[in-house]
Amino acid sequence: MSVLQFGVELYYLVMALVLFFLTLRREPKAAADHRLAFTLSALGLVVALLCLTQQGELFFRSYRVDLFSQIFKLALALGLFLVLAISRSLPSIAERNHAEFYLFLTTCTIGMMMLVSSVELLTIYVSLELSSYSLYILVPLRRGDDIDVEAGIKYLFFGAVSSCFMLFGLSYIFGATHSTYLTDILARMPELVASPIGVVGLILAMAGFFFKLSIFPFHFWAPDVYQGGAHQVVTFIATASKAAAVALLIRLAVLGAQYGYHFTQILVFLSIISMTLGNLVAIIQKDFKRMLAYSSIAHAGYVLIGVLTLQETGLASSIYYALAYLVMNFTVFMVLTQVAQDGRDLKIAELAGLYHRSPLLSMSLILGIFALAGVPPSIGFTGKLFLFTSAMNQGYFWLVLIGAVNGTLSLYFYLRVVYAAYFVEAKLPPIQLSPPMRALNYALCATILYFGVAPNSIMELARAAVRAVL
Amino acid sequence: MPAFNQLNTYLYLAVILFCLGLYGVLSRRNLIAVLISVELMLNAASINFMAFNRFLAPHPAVGQIAALFIMAVAAAEAAIALSIIVALYRKLKSINIEQANELRG
Repeated sequence: MSVLQFGVELYYLVMALVLFFLTLRREPKAAADHRLAFTLSALGLVVALLCLTQQGELFFRSYRVDLFSQIFKLALALGLFLVLAISRSLPSIAERNHAEFYLFLTTCTIGMMMLVSSVELLTIYVSLELSSYSLYILVPLRRGDDIDVEAGIKYLFFGAVSSCFMLFGLSYIFGATHSTYLTDILARMPELVASPIGVVGLILAMAGFFFKLSIFPFHFWAPDVYQGGAHQVVTFIATASKAAAVALLIRLAVLGAQYGYHFTQILVFLSIISMTLGNLVAIIQKDFKRMLAYSSIAHAGYVLIGVLTLQETGLASSIYYALAYLVMNFTVFMVLTQVAQDGRDLKIAELAGLYHRSPLLSMSLILGIFALAGVPPSIGFTGKLFLFTSAMNQGYFWLVLIGAVNGTLSLYFYLRVVYAAYFVEAKLPPIQLSPPMRALNYALCATILYFGVAPNSIMELARAAVRAVL
Repeated sequence: MPAFNQLNTYLYLAVILFCLGLYGVLSRRNLIAVLISVELMLNAASINFMAFNRFLAPHPAVGQIAALFIMAVAAAEAAIALSIIVALYRKLKSINIEQANELRG
């Protein structure tokens, strides 16, 4: 075993330790702390890139490092980096808590990185809880009105109950297969699917990831947490933690790849409900973050379409879509944090006149929103195209039809945002952007367009990653 | 007593405990009581692990380790939950879940 195989996680552990010492300071130095955290996360991105081709098994085979896990670790490192990039001013979190905000973001990243590498049930459980607990603390950190603590409480108890379901399911899987290693479970899969206890176990075990991904029936927390949490925290939940959940869902779904007819039926059902419910309820939302929460429920449904094909192409499209979702959702949230610079909640109507206040931000917004809605030539469109084609090839005609109808439905509320930003006049002062923020805007716009037109490099990477798992 | 030496007894016990916990989570309004119910559900999973370990598993340590891990993780969870409950109490002067209902829509 070489240290490099565990390099990314070790790096972030050290980073968490450094940040922990920052939290111990009596007098907070917000600007210096942010510079340090930001630099460390940029270095982490480099480390994750260096470790991209690592392979191996660690800790008594319970931890597998392969291309699949390393791609997601890179995505998570990117997510942390981007979130820290937009948290230079953190108006909604008290200054003495800034260092803690960085610390818990980092521990959450470590948890999710371990999650995408775990191939043993107990390891999965512990790393899932590590990432969840950090988020439970981050959500109520917001200062001001009481809604933050309320959102925190709801998040915590929904999370705790769904992880109880998951743990109960894992115990049944352990009982049916006598092992906690995914490879051993895979070998005993026919017995597992044949016995009722095994099927119940598998379905319950999925609950934990459905919660993370906010798939029906574990979606109730999303709107409240999105509205109640600080913008930067919500950005992290909406981007990085979704990617990690998709990763683990793929690892688990692969288990049922050869046998799972009933299993897929359940996923089809959940996917349809999540899409439809998310899109329909999003239409009536007035709060921007709440709308994005329902849109995230719908997008979780789209990702499921790729997962339930249980084929190389479908799973690769899911990975592509998860990465694309990270970028496009981040773009929208970045605009949100820049428009609401005092950290208040933003109504959709308050985006009025954004085109005049800051043309660059409105361009990022329109690209991000169009990508979420799936308008060509953005990554969102390409991702949806891949997902729907792979499901079509597997004969899920009705699923694709419902998905496409949902895509059209969702245009309505996405276009309302664009309408507010471009066609409604408002007498508000222009928004000043710092030069690094301008650069970030241009980079995100370029990414959305470039990988939408030329998705092959990412898609090849995703396929290679899936082959490492299947 | 033969019933105490059968796997099924313990599985039924775990299911009953799990359902009791779930019922508690859904019906109790006091946050501390909800937390206790969550712990019940976790312990139901622990009992499952121990029972399968005792009667079926070829390797006798796995289930016990799982139970130990669940205890440790549950302790961390209780710490976080209690601290957030205290924060809620400071703001609302109540730990009744019904008081926390501002987020709607």
